[in-house]
Amino acid sequence: MHELSIASGIVESVLEFAETHHASRVVEVRVAIGELTCVAEEPLKFCYEAITKDTPLEGSTMTIEHMDATVHCPHCSYQGTPKYWDEDAGGPQVATLQCPTCGKAVEAVTGHECAIKGIKYVT
Amino acid sequence: MITIEASPAEIYDIELEHSLLEANAKLARDNRAKLDRHGITAIDFMGAIGSGKTTLITRLVEKLKPRLGVAVFNGDATTAADVDPIVAHNVPVVQLATVNGCHLDANLVGKAMDKIDLTNLKLLLIENIGNLICPAEFPLGSKARVVVVSVTEGPWMVRKHPHMFHGAAIVVINKADLAEVMDVSIAELTRDVHRLKPDIKVIATSCKTGAGIDEVAQALLAV
Repeated sequence: MHELSIASGIVESVLEFAETHHASRVVEVRVAIGELTCVAEEPLKFCYEAITKDTPLEGSTMTIEHMDATVHCPHCSYQGTPKYWDEDAGGPQVATLQCPTCGKAVEAVTGHECAIKGIKYVT
Repeated sequence: MITIEASPAEIYDIELEHSLLEANAKLARDNRAKLDRHGITAIDFMGAIGSGKTTLITRLVEKLKPRLGVAVFNGDATTAADVDPIVAHNVPVVQLATVNGCHLDANLVGKAMDKIDLTNLKLLLIENIGNLICPAEFPLGSKARVVVVSVTEGPWMVRKHPHMFHGAAIVVINKADLAEVMDVSIAELTRDVHRLKPDIKVIATSCKTGAGIDEVAQALLAV
């Protein structure tokens, strides 16, 4: 369950931030998670709640901003949304790294984000 | 209990950009720089438990050891079962016990690099934990990633774990000798890999018969 490692990373960073900014309580933490990461939002929130108990982060909200993937093709210079797996298997859409224009391999430009974007706190 | 609510003026809202994967990514770059200085190519292997990662690495060690210096790092949550067959070949092996962690990270790999003599080494084979979801976000410092799937995992393996393949340079489809019995098509698995990323090199192997092992060895030396 790597969401626990990610949540611990968030809490550790925010606690450090709270200390240097003399925050008595953290109200909200905003996090950006890219489409191409394999970080699941629900388990991340669950871990966050569990490990913030008895810390200045207890009761704070974690807001997750979902970042869409974009790709760049070094072969035909396509830039934009990725090609999605074309067979519908009933699950969530799967982004591929195949160029929607020329069919060769593309590079991801965005979608790998896993970052803290903002903190709301009370002194 | 008396509660004093902060007035809006006392609430601060700060925008920042703090990557949560950067600490590991930095250590991975450090590992890579150190490996480059020693002229060592590191390859990491991912795949499900039972896909044949250890057996494949053992076959590769057999094949490559007479020609160049090889070392193996073996990640495992709880056991050392995978180390024994490789130790028998008398190459440096470090067991990386993650205890409850579900993936190797660059810090553990860096520590392991301190435990072995890097001079005269050319190839470092790193076996990640048998977990298809977690390790993708944690680079270790290797030059290329090999994902091992086996036909016994069924026909949907690639479709169900796309993240693992996005970062792969080589995909090994192992236990090819069982494809017919399993009614799994290697051609279809290959097609699925190329749908996710067309430039991945796909090699069908059987660690049991030895088929395809030479090709994997050559591909590793060419990365």
